[in-house]
Amino acid sequence: MNRRGLLLPLVGVLFLSLGCAAAPPKKDYTAFHAANPRSILVIPVVNNTTNVEAPGLFLSTLPIPLAERGYYVFPVNMVRRVLEDEGLSDPNLVHTADTGRLCNLFGADSVLYVSIEAWTAQYMLITTQVTVEFDYVMKDGKTGDTIWKERKKIVYAPQQQNSGGSPLAALVAAAVQAAATKAAPNYMPLARQANAEVINTPGVGLPAGPHHKEYGKATDSGK
Amino acid sequence: MTVSRLRILLPLIVAASCASGCAPQRAYLWGDYDSALYAHYANPQDTERYVERLGQIVQKAEVEKDKVPPGLYAEYGYALFEAGRLDEAITYYKKEREQWEESQVFMDKMIRNTQRLKENRPGPAPGGELPPPAGTTPGAAPAGEAK
Repeated sequence: MNRRGLLLPLVGVLFLSLGCAAAPPKKDYTAFHAANPRSILVIPVVNNTTNVEAPGLFLSTLPIPLAERGYYVFPVNMVRRVLEDEGLSDPNLVHTADTGRLCNLFGADSVLYVSIEAWTAQYMLITTQVTVEFDYVMKDGKTGDTIWKERKKIVYAPQQQNSGGSPLAALVAAAVQAAATKAAPNYMPLARQANAEVINTPGVGLPAGPHHKEYGKATDSGK
Repeated sequence: MTVSRLRILLPLIVAASCASGCAPQRAYLWGDYDSALYAHYANPQDTERYVERLGQIVQKAEVEKDKVPPGLYAEYGYALFEAGRLDEAITYYKKEREQWEESQVFMDKMIRNTQRLKENRPGPAPGGELPPPAGTTPGAAPAGEAK
C-alpha cells in the first residue's frame, strides 16, 4: 500500500523528466523527510568503468560536500577497512548487502550508494574531452527504502581561447593545454563539481541536514 | 573626481576579494583531508605519512572546536590504530564520540575492540617478542567505557 503510494509520484516524475527538459521537475521528498536522517554511511563506490584509480579518487571527494550539507558522515576510509574485516571487501558485495544490517553495524541512519558510470578521457586532435558520470542512491536504514537519488554526467573539453591573440598563438596555447591534459587528465574538479551540483541544487539536491543552519527551513529543498 | 572613482571602485574591490576569498565558505576546517585520504587509498603501506598528515589537519582544525569536521577524529584514531598506537587510537575515538553523538554506536564498538586487543597484546609471550609498550603504567587510564 505504502509502496504504491511512493511509486506513483516517482513514475510521474520520470515521465516529467523525459517530457520537459526545460523545467526540472520538483522532487518528492516525502520519504526523505519521513526518514529524516542525521547521519550518512558512505560505502565504497562501485566502479563500472575500467579506470582502476577512479573508486579511490572519487570516494575521497564525497565526505566534504555531504558534511557541509549538515550531516554526520562516517569516516570513509575507516568504514572501508572495517567492512573488509567483516568480509565485505568487494564494493559490489557491500552494495547488495542488506541496508538495515549495514546501518546496524555502524549505527547509521542512512546509506549512500554511489557508482561510477563514466570516467574517461577522449583524445582528439588538439583537445581532450573528459567525461564523468555518477549515480547516487540514498537509502533509509530503518525501512531500506530509497529516499533520494540523482544521476550526474559532466563533459568537459577545454575551450580554445581566441580572445585577442593571433590565431597561431591560440592554436599553440590549445595544443599545450591538450598535451597537459593528455599527460594526466584531471578528473577531480569534475568529480567535485558533479557532487556539488547533485547535493546542493535546490529542488533536486539533498535537503539540509541537522548540522546546517538551513535545516528544516521552508526555503529548503523539497519543503 | 577621485572620490567618485573610489566610490565605484571600492564595491568592486570588495566583491572581487569576496569572490576569491569567501566564496567556498565552509563550516569545517578540512585542510587537505580529501587528498590525504586518497594518498592513503593509493598507497596503504604509507601509514606513517598518513598519520602525520591527518595529525596536522586535526591540529589545525582543533583551534576552533566546533570546526572539527565529522569523521576526522575517528579517521585519525584509525590511522593511529593501524600504526599500532592503540592508546592514542582510543583517545581519538573518544573525542569523535564526544563531539558527534551520531558516532556513538560505532565508536563504542571500536573502543571495545581496541581495548580487547590491547589486553591481549602485551601478554607474556613465550618468546618474549612483545615487550609492553613504553607508555603503559599500571593502573593508568582505567577503561571508562560507556555502555
